[in-house]
Amino acid sequence: MSASPVLETPSDHALAAAYRAGDERAAAELVRRHAPAVGRFLYSSGAARDEIDDLVQEALFRAFRRLDGWRGEASFRSWLFAIASNVLRDEYRRRKGRQVLSIEDRDLPDRADPHADLAAMETEERLRQGIASLPRLQREVFLLRTQQGGGYVEIAAALGTTPGAARVHYHHAVKRLKELIR
Amino acid sequence: MNDCERLSDRMPDVVLHRSEWTPEEAAHLAGCAECLAEWELVLAARALGEAALTAPDSSAVSAALLRRLAEDRAGRARARRAWWFAGAAAAAAAILVAVMTGRDAATVAAPQVVAEAEALVPLPELEGLETAQLDTLLQSIDRPFAGTSTLDASTLGEHEDGELEQVFAAWEG
Repeated sequence: MSASPVLETPSDHALAAAYRAGDERAAAELVRRHAPAVGRFLYSSGAARDEIDDLVQEALFRAFRRLDGWRGEASFRSWLFAIASNVLRDEYRRRKGRQVLSIEDRDLPDRADPHADLAAMETEERLRQGIASLPRLQREVFLLRTQQGGGYVEIAAALGTTPGAARVHYHHAVKRLKELIR
Repeated sequence: MNDCERLSDRMPDVVLHRSEWTPEEAAHLAGCAECLAEWELVLAARALGEAALTAPDSSAVSAALLRRLAEDRAGRARARRAWWFAGAAAAAAAILVAVMTGRDAATVAAPQVVAEAEALVPLPELEGLETAQLDTLLQSIDRPFAGTSTLDASTLGEHEDGELEQVFAAWEG
């Protein structure tokens, strides 16, 4: 019995190089891999749900437009998150300081314990607001740690800071958020 | 680094299922209110958006993205061409201005040069002449050159061929 061929998954580096060489399928694959995570990062940072698609596309557009700027010190996703954070900041400025964060008005799911669901949603909204209210570096380090599991060295490279400073930002964020959701 | 800090550093790996708590870590977590609160926070942050967001249609997103990138490239190419034409037009205008300015400068400078030459060339022998004498002198200077050839062609016929060749050779240098 012959072994089935192992299909190698191209790395983000390989896909970025392929896109730069003109392969648009490589861009599509990078989008497939990272767009959902960028959307969740933006949502967690306080973006309104109905704006997520536009913001994700804007972040991806900026990233691919200056793909040469990604030198691989941080992962492609961490680099995308940093760009997405800039997109959100620009959106906030465009609105001349009006808070981007929306208090979501979601329908309650039809479940056995609607009170528990409501409580969970309230906790989630409180957490989103708390994350959105953090100073930028605290917010980004916290989300890169908790949603991507990034190490401090990689996070520091993505955000242009030092690993020690990234650690301090993370612990400040955790302290503030713990107080908020208690 | 104490146990709480060690546990805090491990939380992202465990929440992303890249690792699991060891029995010692699990025991610490169960008995430490601060670590438990942080762990619940990390779990909640990890889950943010999972229920609220529907996964984007990747093919639609990438199609829109590629279309936008193509439009951007075309726009930048148009802008480059526009800048090139603008640069070329500016350069042509600069050359034209330089040529016109140079021509004007030459036109203006010519009488000045003549005037300076008139003022500076010393001809003391003319100083004592009357106006009529100066006119006569000027007329003789202005007489057509063809009528005052210094070559006395009438004498050439008296020379042999060899002598004539020597004369021509002397003229040609």
